Amino acid sequence: MHQTTEIKTAVRQFIAENVLLGIHQTTIEDTTPLVTGGLIDSIGMIGLVSFLETRFKVEFVPREIDVHSLNTLEQIEELIRKKLASQGTGAAGSTQQTR
Amino acid sequence: MPEPEFPERGSDALADELLSDWLRRAAAATPDAPAIVEQDRNGEDRVTSFRELFEQAASLAMRFVEHGVRKQDRIALVLPKSTDAIVSVFASLLAGAVYVPIHPQWPKERIEATLADCGARLVIEGDGSPPRITDRETGESIPWGAPDIHSDISGADSLPRADAGDPALILFTSGSTGRPKGVVLSHRAVSAFVKWTAREFQINSADRIGCPSPLSFDLSTFDIFNMALGGATCVLVPEHIVWMPRFLVQFVREARITCWYSVPSILAGMLEKGRMAQHDYPGLRVILFAGEVFRGADVARLVAAVPQAVCANLYGPTETNVVTWYRVPRGFDGSQPLPIGQLCPYSTVTVDATSGELLAGGDSLMSGYWNRPEDTQRVFVSLEGKRHYRTGDRVSRAANGNYLFLGRLDRQVKRRGFRIELGEIETALAGREDILEAAAVAVEDEKLGTTIIAFVRARSDGAVTVIEAKAHCARTLPLYIVPDHIVFLDAIPKGSRGKIDYIALSKLAEALDQVAPKNAAPNSAAPNHAPNNGDQDRSPAVHR
Repeated sequence: MHQTTEIKTAVRQFIAENVLLGIHQTTIEDTTPLVTGGLIDSIGMIGLVSFLETRFKVEFVPREIDVHSLNTLEQIEELIRKKLASQGTGAAGSTQQTR
Repeated sequence: MPEPEFPERGSDALADELLSDWLRRAAAATPDAPAIVEQDRNGEDRVTSFRELFEQAASLAMRFVEHGVRKQDRIALVLPKSTDAIVSVFASLLAGAVYVPIHPQWPKERIEATLADCGARLVIEGDGSPPRITDRETGESIPWGAPDIHSDISGADSLPRADAGDPALILFTSGSTGRPKGVVLSHRAVSAFVKWTAREFQINSADRIGCPSPLSFDLSTFDIFNMALGGATCVLVPEHIVWMPRFLVQFVREARITCWYSVPSILAGMLEKGRMAQHDYPGLRVILFAGEVFRGADVARLVAAVPQAVCANLYGPTETNVVTWYRVPRGFDGSQPLPIGQLCPYSTVTVDATSGELLAGGDSLMSGYWNRPEDTQRVFVSLEGKRHYRTGDRVSRAANGNYLFLGRLDRQVKRRGFRIELGEIETALAGREDILEAAAVAVEDEKLGTTIIAFVRARSDGAVTVIEAKAHCARTLPLYIVPDHIVFLDAIPKGSRGKIDYIALSKLAEALDQVAPKNAAPNSAAPNHAPNNGDQDRSPAVHR
């Protein structure tokens, strides 16, 4: 199972590379607002969701795509953990792999 | 089945009709037909019939008038595109008032400034249903629903009536000085466009129209007023999936959309990430797009993916709505850019011989900018006694008569169909204490399309972080205007006269964009070196 820090680290790295261009060594806190803070826009959201889906082998449904559930690292981690937990029983093994 | 009593399209006898008259007539002709379908969060459909829509709107309009709302008062709708919002649109128009749609996700201070700018009498707002209605002068609230929603609306016949030339709505767009400009559109202007689309694309009561644009964009006049004009159904696209291609493609299929109107970026996403071509859309017969350049290759993919549909490129800024259009020919291969085409029947255009600027006039032209006489005067030019709008778009005309879009004459850009004045980004950034200077440029990215990079000179090294600067933008600008990237420089390159050297900045931005990893490859390494444009004298150091 993914550790708490692992999910946040992966997302933090994704944002640092794709949004901040890796140029600036600024810290994205667990509670930094990503969407309402102007870091991720609608297109960035598509990229983020497809990154999360690939990286954690989860699939989102429309109602989960919400500014309020994907606005901070904390919220993203919570959502991913919930999704993994609900998948865990059905498809063990493959969904729990880490890279 | 008896033919519903809709007027013959294009009939001149209807020239002085108001947009609200259409709803009144549809409610009489097809009272039980679905006017609006809105999906709730759980995917359940909420259907509103024409009778219900008219009764709710008329009863609300009567309460507005009882409250003291007068003809031409502005009613601001700070609402997502919902059934309640459309009720509010028609209630405002039935009361002889002007609706001012404001996107609820705009920053608070921008919303407040816009409310003040348009002198809104009432504000209708709130996430939930029903929304709150407040009188901005007195602070009083007006109840949304009458005690009995089917209460007597016979008084609706004596509601105040606007004239066809009076403003129906005001759309606020990006302004280069940082203050949004209100484009005033009359009943007649909107009517010209809507009636033409109804005739040209034969929109009728069997149609289910999907248009993801919020009410604050001119594209939304297409679905809500074609619904009223022809008795079609307005199928609201859930806002949270608008930019989620996979879900959007699924929505178009499941909601059995027959007419679609959106910006090209949304369609491009559906084609690429949504794998639109893998499915059939048997009922989808019209696909219209407007708002930005649609790459030829993507258009070719679209016509191949939905071969039975009529696809058309509609062109025109908010100030004129659509003035030219181009029907994509079958078998379009995308090897040539898509023309903006030929004139709409209600339009007149001229190309300025010196600058190549398109000057557009005709029935769909705006009345002017709200409360900005100088700006209005500046953008209008009189040709043969008729007002024309300086579009700022450079065009040429092909031998076959089609107009071609070449580019802009100023610093306005389109990103994902959103109109953005780069100057507005600069004003916003420079408004932050620790930022001394800002200059924004747009580059074309192969994968991501138009990308905006803002260069910033801060008071001192490290005084502001990228995250802080972006957060500052997000507090003052709508999210769709926030720059993609912010890059700190020790000095903004200047020309000999001390003016910002945007050409040098564009080169720097292109170099930066080249090394930037794309979302498609999330694991690629971050760039190790800041770009150097090779001109040591003017090459500013990029902070690391």
